[in-house]
Amino acid sequence: MRSNTIRRAVRWIPRILLLTLVTLAFVYPFWWMLVNSLNTNAQVFGQPRLLPQGWQWQNYIEIFRKQPFARHYLNTILVACVGTLGNVLISALSGYAFSRIRFPGRELLFILLLTALMMPIEVIIIPLFYQMKAWNMTDSLYPLMFIPIFCSQGALSAFMFRQFFVTIPSELEEAGRLDGLSHFGIFRYIMLPISMPVASSAGILAFLASWNTYLEPLVFTTSIEKYTLPLSLNNFNDVYGQPEWHLQLAATTLSVIPVMIVYLVFQEKVTDAMVSSGLKG
Amino acid sequence: MKKLLAVLMSVMLMALVVPGLCEDAVDIKIATWTSNADQLALLGSFVDEFAAEKGIKINCTFESLSGAEYSSLLLMDLQSNAAPDAFWIMEADIKAYIAAGLCAKLDDALVSYDPADLDDGAMSLWRDGGSTYAVPFSTSPFIMIYNADLFEQAGLKDPNEYLAEGTWTWETFRECMKTIKEKTGVYGYMTVNNAGFADRTVMNLTPFVRGFGGDFWTDDLEVKIDTPESIAAVQMFHDMVYEDGSVVPPGDESNFFTGAAACTFNQISQLGNLKDVTWKWGVTKLPGGVSFLGQAAMAANPNSKNAGLAAELVGYMTSATCAARVAKYWPPCRKSVLESEEFLSSNAYLTADQMKEIVAGSVLNSRAMSNNINSPTINIETEILFDKLWNADADVASILGQIATVYRNNLQ
Amino acid sequence: MNRSNLAHRRRLAESATGYAFILPQMLGFVLFVLIPLINVFIYSFQNKNILFGTNAFCGLDNYRKLFSDPLFHLTLKNTLIFSFFLVPLNLILAMAMALYLGDGQFGTRYIRTVIFLPVVTSGVAWSIVWKYLLQGGTAGPINWFLAQLGIQGPNWLQQKGWAMGAVIVTRVLKNLGTNVLVFYGAVMNLDSGIVEAARIDGASGMTLFRKIKLPLLMPTVLMASIVTMIGSMRVFDTIKLMTDGGPEGSTMVLVYYVYYQGFKAFKSGYASAIAVILFLIMLLMTLLQWLARKKVSHYEE
Repeated sequence: MRSNTIRRAVRWIPRILLLTLVTLAFVYPFWWMLVNSLNTNAQVFGQPRLLPQGWQWQNYIEIFRKQPFARHYLNTILVACVGTLGNVLISALSGYAFSRIRFPGRELLFILLLTALMMPIEVIIIPLFYQMKAWNMTDSLYPLMFIPIFCSQGALSAFMFRQFFVTIPSELEEAGRLDGLSHFGIFRYIMLPISMPVASSAGILAFLASWNTYLEPLVFTTSIEKYTLPLSLNNFNDVYGQPEWHLQLAATTLSVIPVMIVYLVFQEKVTDAMVSSGLKG
Repeated sequence: MKKLLAVLMSVMLMALVVPGLCEDAVDIKIATWTSNADQLALLGSFVDEFAAEKGIKINCTFESLSGAEYSSLLLMDLQSNAAPDAFWIMEADIKAYIAAGLCAKLDDALVSYDPADLDDGAMSLWRDGGSTYAVPFSTSPFIMIYNADLFEQAGLKDPNEYLAEGTWTWETFRECMKTIKEKTGVYGYMTVNNAGFADRTVMNLTPFVRGFGGDFWTDDLEVKIDTPESIAAVQMFHDMVYEDGSVVPPGDESNFFTGAAACTFNQISQLGNLKDVTWKWGVTKLPGGVSFLGQAAMAANPNSKNAGLAAELVGYMTSATCAARVAKYWPPCRKSVLESEEFLSSNAYLTADQMKEIVAGSVLNSRAMSNNINSPTINIETEILFDKLWNADADVASILGQIATVYRNNLQ
Repeated sequence: MNRSNLAHRRRLAESATGYAFILPQMLGFVLFVLIPLINVFIYSFQNKNILFGTNAFCGLDNYRKLFSDPLFHLTLKNTLIFSFFLVPLNLILAMAMALYLGDGQFGTRYIRTVIFLPVVTSGVAWSIVWKYLLQGGTAGPINWFLAQLGIQGPNWLQQKGWAMGAVIVTRVLKNLGTNVLVFYGAVMNLDSGIVEAARIDGASGMTLFRKIKLPLLMPTVLMASIVTMIGSMRVFDTIKLMTDGGPEGSTMVLVYYVYYQGFKAFKSGYASAIAVILFLIMLLMTLLQWLARKKVSHYEE
């Protein structure tokens, strides 16, 4: 009897340990961020506590005073929305064409497009900088919108759509053709509606990529009113470039929360999208 | 088909809509590294006065770029199509900027603002081939700001007493720091902005190196960082960090202004941080009578479509009237202002005597940091070499030798 | 005659439609990928400088300089070290977690949820938080905990040997979730018949895993390792925000060195040469991935 209890306890120890470790590694950092976003600058360091000491709600007001944080938020939303919409629509079109329309050079063009998939933006950031400068697009949000549409993220979405459309039985198209639909009509009224699962996966990936992008705004925006959130977070410094930790953490909290909520609500969808692309290291 | 196209088009259009602005006012953008609201308001009022004087309307925006990455950010800004018309510029960048044609000649614009009043010594960095390319708005000597309570608790004399006695040497300084650490447990010295192991390494080491009779390189481009004097100086600082433990070490956030260190070297613009402290503080000269100057200047963008106006604005904002009003933050290099009574009483934290002795006296006969046209490259290439110093067992002489090699390869 | 003409016209029309459909994407591809890619090669033969505005052809100078640039050698070495430690760490942890989750044990749902939180978080936010957690002295929470155990934690991000380790761990935790779920999917799809049979034969624990499960999971592991390796080359935000390539250049990796030379030292020609090297490495790894995928699908058949 007693040995049974002990055996059960022994079996539970590793599980509890694992759960503790997982919590420490994946939940505690966020909790720590949240707690210290409500502390003063001096309270951030030293003995970590489970609850804020200062309850400095004004930190959350201060961040909007310190920089045009609302503007940064709007910029990020704008860039992410335009980038995601453009990405999904344009790659749905091309994904459809690459799988269901016959035209010369199709395979070759598709493989060419896929080279974008392997190319990190860091490779081409310098020529892109000069190019945007020549097009008068530096210090604007346009490059930040175009890049998720056309660079690796665009190729990825096109690839996902193509893989999906290839599996659709041709009877569906035939039926549409008999109804007198053009290719575009078939795409619009038959293919696009049934591709919603792919569209949402591609959309989620494009949105996250765009929301979280850092190098591109770093290179292409210079005025503070053009900043996006990732730049803004790192800009809570005092006059001499020393970070104001409490404000930085408050801003970080605000930038993380919407993504977290979306994730927790659509968990299966989001994880499926990320896992199927499997592009992260 | 049309519907979808319409959606597509409107998405693209939405992205391309730019809020069109059409006003008669001239738009002027000024890049700075301060984000202090009081300072920006003061600068803004200068622009308004200038506009009123010219009888025009100026729509001025100040852009506050992060100080730690200012060089990089400013250049990207100047390359963008929303480039600033005028900008603050750091000492380290000016030579390169002049060579790259990124600073407008200011000679014509300065005529109406008494250029002879600007001290020649302080202007040398900002002139080239007889033309002036930038005007310093700040020529600020480094001073020692200290926590008098901690000196007392450690049983030491007040630093100003050592100074009066003539014993305020680097050896005394080191002894004091060590004593404070031993007696009170609080760190002695905090490096410049506590960034002396990061982006302020050279600035932090300069007083030590010069105090020992060394230098980084001279104005004639003679490299002196690997001379015995320079090595001894850096070695002493290194020992203070790793043997005495009396310096706030790399990665430690203990701050002088919160009472976690006994002193620091900085400029008078930092004194505002003492506003709420409860302990007794003081200021004095750097040990060994070193006078070391930090300068910051304002320049105009020659490629701006309002280049002429921007140049005049720079002239106005650095004129005697304006310089007198910013003097509480940034001492000017205008002789008329430095000698005025207003200047001596301009800083709420310093007495007129202190202003005269410690600040004004140093402005006209100090030297700034070593500088070169290739400073951007040099800074980048020596960054990792300087990092090597911050190990307890670092071979100071050999590391400084490697740094000297980079200097020799790049100075021009 | 008439009919074949009609068919011909139908084909033409179909082709035209196809081109119209791919036009937006291909146009964007040419403008935002292809032309910059060609340019990066061209720039790598120029002494292009953002600051001084120079632009002249300089032959192989940039590449020659790469060979003699100690920081570049260090960068290559660091990039290798980074991937070499990150990939196995990531895979082993992910596999262990996936096997645990696969057994449907206590807390599965919770672990699956929280392990993915950092994946959706921006690299910037994650790096900022970890930079604080890893502060030196006893200021940072991690060192504070260590101090309670009587261990004096190092100055993680500013001490040479430690910084790389700290960055790797931060990065592994950030992206671990993806591989956990990839492996979890594979574990759940294991042929339960084979596993059961082995269990009945007396295989259990480590043997069951090594002899039965791992070989079946191998294709997935192979793919995941290459994808993880490619991903590990792209650590820009973590490096920029946590260490800025330091201390002593010990965390300088290729993607960051491109930025560092291009936008901090302003030598865009030289930075382009580095970018070309980065491109070639990525190309090599993609080929590897392609070969692996072929082999994997061969397996599956």
